[in-house]
Amino acid sequence: MFQNRTEALALALPAAVFAAVVFLVPVALLLSEGFKTADGWTIQAYIDFFSMPLNQAVFLRTLKLGLTVTLAAAVIGYAAAYAIVTLPASSKGKMIGLVVLPLMISPVARTYAWIVILGRTGIINQALSAVGLTDGPVRILFTETAVFIGLLQLFLPLMIISLISALENLPRDAVPAARVLGANWFQVFWKVILPLSREGLIVGGTLVFTGSLTAYITPAILGGSKVLMLETLLYQQVTVANNFVSASIIALILIAMSFAANILLRRIASARSAK
Amino acid sequence: MTQKLYTWSILSLVLIFLIGPFFIIVAASFSAGDTLAFPPQGFSVKWILKVFTVESFQQSFVTSMILAIGGTLTALILGIPAAYAMSRYKLPGAEIVRFMVSMPIIVPGIIVGLALLRYFVIPLGISISLALFIAHTALVLPYAVRVVSASLNNLRSDMEEAAVLLGSSRAGAFFRVVLPNIRGGILAAFILGFVTSFNQVPVSLFLSGPGVRTLPIDMLGYMEIVFDPSIAALSSLLAFLSIGIVFAAERFLGFSRYV
Amino acid sequence: MTLKTLLCAATALTLSAGFAQAQDKTLTISAYAFAQDEFSEILYKPFEEKCGCKVVVETGNSVERLAKLEANKDNPVIDMAVMSTADAMAASRNGLIDTVDTSKLTNFDKLYDVAKDPNGDGMSVGYTFYATSIVYRTDKMKIDSWADLLKDDIAPHIAFPNITTNQGAPALYMLGKALGSDNPDLQVPIDAVSKKAGDIVTFYVKSSQLVQLMQQEEIWAAPIGRFSWAPFTKLDLPLAWATPKEGQTGGMNVMVVTKGSKNRDLALEFMDYWLSTEVQTKLATALVDSPANSEVKVSDEVANNITYGAETAKSLTLLPASVSLDNRDAWLAEWNAKVGQ
Repeated sequence: MFQNRTEALALALPAAVFAAVVFLVPVALLLSEGFKTADGWTIQAYIDFFSMPLNQAVFLRTLKLGLTVTLAAAVIGYAAAYAIVTLPASSKGKMIGLVVLPLMISPVARTYAWIVILGRTGIINQALSAVGLTDGPVRILFTETAVFIGLLQLFLPLMIISLISALENLPRDAVPAARVLGANWFQVFWKVILPLSREGLIVGGTLVFTGSLTAYITPAILGGSKVLMLETLLYQQVTVANNFVSASIIALILIAMSFAANILLRRIASARSAK
Repeated sequence: MTQKLYTWSILSLVLIFLIGPFFIIVAASFSAGDTLAFPPQGFSVKWILKVFTVESFQQSFVTSMILAIGGTLTALILGIPAAYAMSRYKLPGAEIVRFMVSMPIIVPGIIVGLALLRYFVIPLGISISLALFIAHTALVLPYAVRVVSASLNNLRSDMEEAAVLLGSSRAGAFFRVVLPNIRGGILAAFILGFVTSFNQVPVSLFLSGPGVRTLPIDMLGYMEIVFDPSIAALSSLLAFLSIGIVFAAERFLGFSRYV
Repeated sequence: MTLKTLLCAATALTLSAGFAQAQDKTLTISAYAFAQDEFSEILYKPFEEKCGCKVVVETGNSVERLAKLEANKDNPVIDMAVMSTADAMAASRNGLIDTVDTSKLTNFDKLYDVAKDPNGDGMSVGYTFYATSIVYRTDKMKIDSWADLLKDDIAPHIAFPNITTNQGAPALYMLGKALGSDNPDLQVPIDAVSKKAGDIVTFYVKSSQLVQLMQQEEIWAAPIGRFSWAPFTKLDLPLAWATPKEGQTGGMNVMVVTKGSKNRDLALEFMDYWLSTEVQTKLATALVDSPANSEVKVSDEVANNITYGAETAKSLTLLPASVSLDNRDAWLAEWNAKVGQ
């Protein structure tokens, strides 16, 4: 560890100052617009914003989709990550590569594919009617389900990778040992796997939740104007209504939700490990 | 045996979900029909060829390349010293620095774009291209700092301390001892930053102007007008480009160790 | 590749991009994003050769571009723009555009009368107009009236234009007429649509998407502008263009000159070229834009696919720009409160 403070600051400051000037300042200015009126500072705009049923509905929908996508990603993520870490080293690397692969593909393209898959004549509907589960085609496109599926596919890899790096540190025989001692799978997960992988869950959960809140293309294309989310509402407010106050309010809500998610996940994780 | 069955059934389901859509896109690129459909109607390469004839794609491809390469390099130039300071020095306010450089991950991109447009581009008369460049640099900065930090933390610090004790300057020790050892981490950060910037949509949504548009924004705009398989073809081409880069990096450097 | 090579490559690219922009005479225009390849071929490139200048195009939808004009008010980047009549009126009220000096437009007299000064303020010139009606599957339904769209067995198979699009308000207006209300506050049709909002497949923002949705049988009918009709005819489906008993609606797109533009004369020269019989004929034949120039003659086949001729233009029930503009905020609020959720 070097002790020279001036040198340390000289090295770190350019990045910090850059982030502050081009990032924090304009974003802070934008956020301040929601509180500013001709006669001073007020939260009236926020009261007005939340008193509109459309805004309430959009807010709740965004929260709901963010939470369900994160939850689903965590469940599938654990199953997949656990399966991957138990693989022999050679296939592990390949499998991680395949999981990361979608991250390299433009989200525009990935979302585009779902239009074909989820359509009335798409593969899902063909499969459903072939199996005899449905009488006629089910409407999936332009519903919350479509947005949910699109977001989950977009962000699941982030959860899996985060959990893999956490589970790698799991002692190899911890799970078999717990099983031999009579623990069921639920207990194994709750008492052994979760406490040891909480860092990964926090990182993955935050990434998935924040990602779901701030995705633009997926709700825009798969949801359309019938499934507005905060991000698409923000874009509409700026381009159509020229309403920067609403935009500023939505921005603050989105940032606050990301922070809240991060803090909440930390809480949950530390509460578990404290026991 | 049940363990194996569990492993493979879970993994095949997850992979079908994650990669399946990509195959649809690739299949649609070779369709002979005029719309995106699966299974594709006939086989032809006309949509692949069409991609190369759309002029705006060429322009926005160059714009996106410059942004992704230039922005990531700038982010690395800013980020490597910061990561070094945080891992090797007692940095006053290290937490604040860490927080500042990681902000761009938490703040939604659309807000960054809008804020830059409203408070930089319009009042200060900064050009859209510069604003885009700044925004993409800021966006990549957190990844640069995080990946390089991880790579620095894996490198024992006694080597460079020894070099300093043996009379090398601190800068000399950094360039001769540290840098060669974190090369892989830097390249990993570069690839991650490049991909992030290249595929970025929300930040660029508001930051487009006459003659300045990134490729994903151009693709979205094109989709608003034409819904033929050429977008699928372009997407496949770009995907294979990214996969090629990452595969090469993994092959020669063990990329996944750093991410 | 080492970092150094990459750095050099990036620098080289940045420099070359800088040089490409440093041409002395540049006309910057703002246009609709559709058919840019055709526009480039028919309009931009020939004009660039003619004037020895460079044409830079910014694209987006009408409202988006208006917002940008407003944002860059004090230091206009755009010299000339095309937009809807309502947006042109909004721009004129906000002092963003200038009077068009029609004496400099040699092709001005050839225009249909409705296109000469659509808003009556001398601030815009129409270059194309279009009919808006309903495209539908003849094997699935019969459309005789705008109100048919909301029938129980039809509504679950339609896409309706969002209020934020240029087709939204006109389509609602016609729906209102079919339901017996002529009121421009559009309360009656918005109410009617809101009751079926759950059934309607989507409220579309991008009309091109409809081709895909039609092909996937996601929808069987949708109100569209005639300019998006051509791709539907290529689908292997029994599709028809409805002639509802309330008539068809439509709209006009106009050209405006930005206030404070440094290239005013060049912009006028460009507009004149765009209005010329030659360019308008080519754009019509490519099924891009219906002509506003009355001297344009096209084949019957082309005429069938565009909105052609003075008679057609006169028969359209158009919402006046001032009505659209004055009611726009109220419509959006009403729509968001009733349909948007």
